[in-house]
Amino acid sequence: MARTIPVSARISQAPARATSLRLMVAAGLVALFVSIPLVYLFVRAAGADPADWQRLLQARLWKLLGNTLTLALLVTSGTTLLGVSLAWFTERTDLPGRKLLRWMLAMPLAIPTYLGAIVHLALMRPRGGLIPQGVEALLGVSLPLPSPLGLAGSVFVLTFFMYPYVYLLSGAAFRSQHAVFEEAARTLGRTPWQTFWQVTLPMLRPGVLAGALLVALDVLAEYGTVALLRYETFSSAIFVQLAGRYDRSAASILSGVLVGLAMLLLWAELRLQGEARSTQMESAWRPAPPIALGVWKGPALLFVLGVTAISLLVPLGVLSAWSVQALLDLPTLSQVVRTGSQGMVHFVWNSLWTSLLAALAAMTLALPVARFSVRYPGRLSHLLARVCQVGYALPGVVIALSLVLLINRFLPFLYATPVPILMAYVLRHMPQAVRAAESALGRLSASLEEAARTLGRTSLLALIQVTLPLVLPGLLAGGALVFLTSLKELPATLLLRPAGFDTLAVRVWVWASEGFYVQAAPAALILVLASALPLSFLLRREPLFR
Amino acid sequence: MIRLSVHGLTKFFPGALAPAVDNLSFSLQEGEILSLVGPSGCGKTTILRLIAGLDRPNHGQIAINGRLVTAPGVFVPPEQRGVGMVFQDHALFPHLTVFENVAFGLHGRPGREKQARVKEMLALVGMEGFERRYPHALSGGERQRVALARAMAPRPVLVLMDEPFSSLDADLRLEMREHVRNILKAMQATVIFVTHDQDEALFMGDRIAVIQHGRIEQIGAPEEIFHASATRFVAEFMGDSNFLAGIARPEGIETELGLLRQEHGFPAGTWVEIAVRADDIDFDLSENGNGVIARRFFRGAFNLYRLRLDSGQTVHAIKEHTCTLPPGIRIRARLRGDHPLRAFPMPEPAGERQVIGPMTSQRRQNKSA
Repeated sequence: MARTIPVSARISQAPARATSLRLMVAAGLVALFVSIPLVYLFVRAAGADPADWQRLLQARLWKLLGNTLTLALLVTSGTTLLGVSLAWFTERTDLPGRKLLRWMLAMPLAIPTYLGAIVHLALMRPRGGLIPQGVEALLGVSLPLPSPLGLAGSVFVLTFFMYPYVYLLSGAAFRSQHAVFEEAARTLGRTPWQTFWQVTLPMLRPGVLAGALLVALDVLAEYGTVALLRYETFSSAIFVQLAGRYDRSAASILSGVLVGLAMLLLWAELRLQGEARSTQMESAWRPAPPIALGVWKGPALLFVLGVTAISLLVPLGVLSAWSVQALLDLPTLSQVVRTGSQGMVHFVWNSLWTSLLAALAAMTLALPVARFSVRYPGRLSHLLARVCQVGYALPGVVIALSLVLLINRFLPFLYATPVPILMAYVLRHMPQAVRAAESALGRLSASLEEAARTLGRTSLLALIQVTLPLVLPGLLAGGALVFLTSLKELPATLLLRPAGFDTLAVRVWVWASEGFYVQAAPAALILVLASALPLSFLLRREPLFR
Repeated sequence: MIRLSVHGLTKFFPGALAPAVDNLSFSLQEGEILSLVGPSGCGKTTILRLIAGLDRPNHGQIAINGRLVTAPGVFVPPEQRGVGMVFQDHALFPHLTVFENVAFGLHGRPGREKQARVKEMLALVGMEGFERRYPHALSGGERQRVALARAMAPRPVLVLMDEPFSSLDADLRLEMREHVRNILKAMQATVIFVTHDQDEALFMGDRIAVIQHGRIEQIGAPEEIFHASATRFVAEFMGDSNFLAGIARPEGIETELGLLRQEHGFPAGTWVEIAVRADDIDFDLSENGNGVIARRFFRGAFNLYRLRLDSGQTVHAIKEHTCTLPPGIRIRARLRGDHPLRAFPMPEPAGERQVIGPMTSQRRQNKSA
């Protein structure tokens, strides 16, 4: 969803225009704001006591690195396998009900991964889990089921709740592939099977890789799932250092390494964005005819429905059942709907206003950067646009750490206000807004604004009367994405919130980690539904869902 | 030796009223270039796809090099037909380099042979030194050459070209078609060349098949198609003809421009139309003539005059570039009569067809003018 359109599809290749100074300054200020936490973090990590470095290198760093990379690698491979094969089934075969299945396969994006982990744990935990209990009741003996915790559990949960990134991007790539390439391969002597492996899949590479890298970045940033399933990664270790031991020096060092890792992935992802421009066709697009599954229709449908069951139907079912249970049980109900600062209305309101404000701020800040990079392409504007992408490489815990350090030192009056939360949301989700704005502006011909200028409008009026109305849908899409991801954000909110400031995500997390699953369920369900709304708005804009 | 024979080929697309390809039969000799030409939507691309094996026909059979590849109960998949295809927008694989694209059809050959063949093909199309480039770094003409090299590299028994020049600029198109024809002839390739451009068809083809509604209207040498059009459609599509009404007489055809003395084979008294091109008509200034000059188009080497005859019919005539006459002057037009003209039975009752000026050919004149 965070794709930009390929550069060659852009209409406006503005040749050497005099750069607008105002725009350049505005874009520069935004880039500065975005890069301060990162720079400050590196300064702190580099300036940390060498003894701390030594201690971490000896004891923890290598193990954390191994754990984190193993998890990222396995989840990325798993989501790629799952996402590409699901995309192939819904885009290239005559699978029945493809339209509905597409929606069901994308919807897990509305479920925060830690909710998936909570449901997974509730169902699978060895003592008291619903499935082990059910098995025991059925067979009369307790079977030694695999542990739901650790690496295996984390890979399972993350794979099934993160595959939609790959699914959506590779689905779009499958969809946009011109039938003529496969036909050309056939006339050059390839069988359908060889054609699939040598032409269809390799041509998908940019889309699939972009999705996989987004997944890898998200795994690096993931806190809730790995904390709940007790698998230690950089993110969870930093969280513990910060929340428990207040060892900021160690946290800075770990964060520095983690961000370095994430930067590598982001760099690769940004390069892919450039490469995607090569797969353009001049003439009318013609889709490849769907492949008849024949006798495989049944098993294929079973596979797709199985994935949907694990990633969507079971979690929603469990949350709904618990919610009903919570509403029927008076003591629980009174906990759930308590009024005042502890009440449900309060959490919902906090979640909504912080996420909305973050979305608005991100959209506003993204506009000058995107305008500068699209209208005045050059080294500087390119650099500024790239700087605004660093949020992808800053996990929530790292942003929290950086903001805690900065605010303690320079802005102490912001302490104990919700402003740091807002800043964290904007910093982390800014790239999505910038990409959306760049893509929307890129589709717009520069001559439209110039026409308005020749008809007597100032540049500001031209922007307001011509450009903004035309790019608004694209900007809103970016805003919706920021809203959605801010709503689901957990670790930064946990670390930065003032005492007593609860959002839906925080409340669900606190209750669930204390074992009050039933009590947490109504809030969790509201969180999912609130995320589903902007998500369906975003999906409806995708060609895949038209 | 016959390279390709097509017999009774018919293809219905679901939901279409008429077949896209309708009971089509023709054959192709070794080393021959056949142009398939017709308006867009006439079924010519479908014919190529049926021959390549990318679509299955409803009826009919296709034999390539004497081997039946499509027939009732027989369908050889495209990869086993030995057919090379050049696609409309080249379809170069964007994830492969120029070298890899050209070598794509040579899989299974030893590396050295592959290298040599790719090198040879790139030299032939004038693309040496581009081996490591990717398609997106090539210009339109360069992509065109690579696409041709890729299709020819496996030594196909038959080359199919689907409007290969349509994505090029007009200037480049003229240059490329001469270049490509020379290459094809040098390799003695057997080719079917699809186009909607009559000039391109006349230039490229040893023979031309004019297609309309999935049927061959006429197939023959370019001169034959041009001078001896078999149907009104061919005369109109291939030669910018105007149609002049006339009545068959025993000694010839009587028209507004006088009696055309020629064999015609129509019963006396039949209303007919004669296809006349600008080079078939001449005129003199004459106050009591049979029409006026409606417009002059200066074409550099000559002047093209549009003449409005007194009956309302429109014809065109060519004069040398020095002969400049203003519109509105009365003239007397006449047929040159230096070669026989094609006559076709008039499709509608003559009484309602006093005014005959095919809009299509007029529009074409305007556009090129």
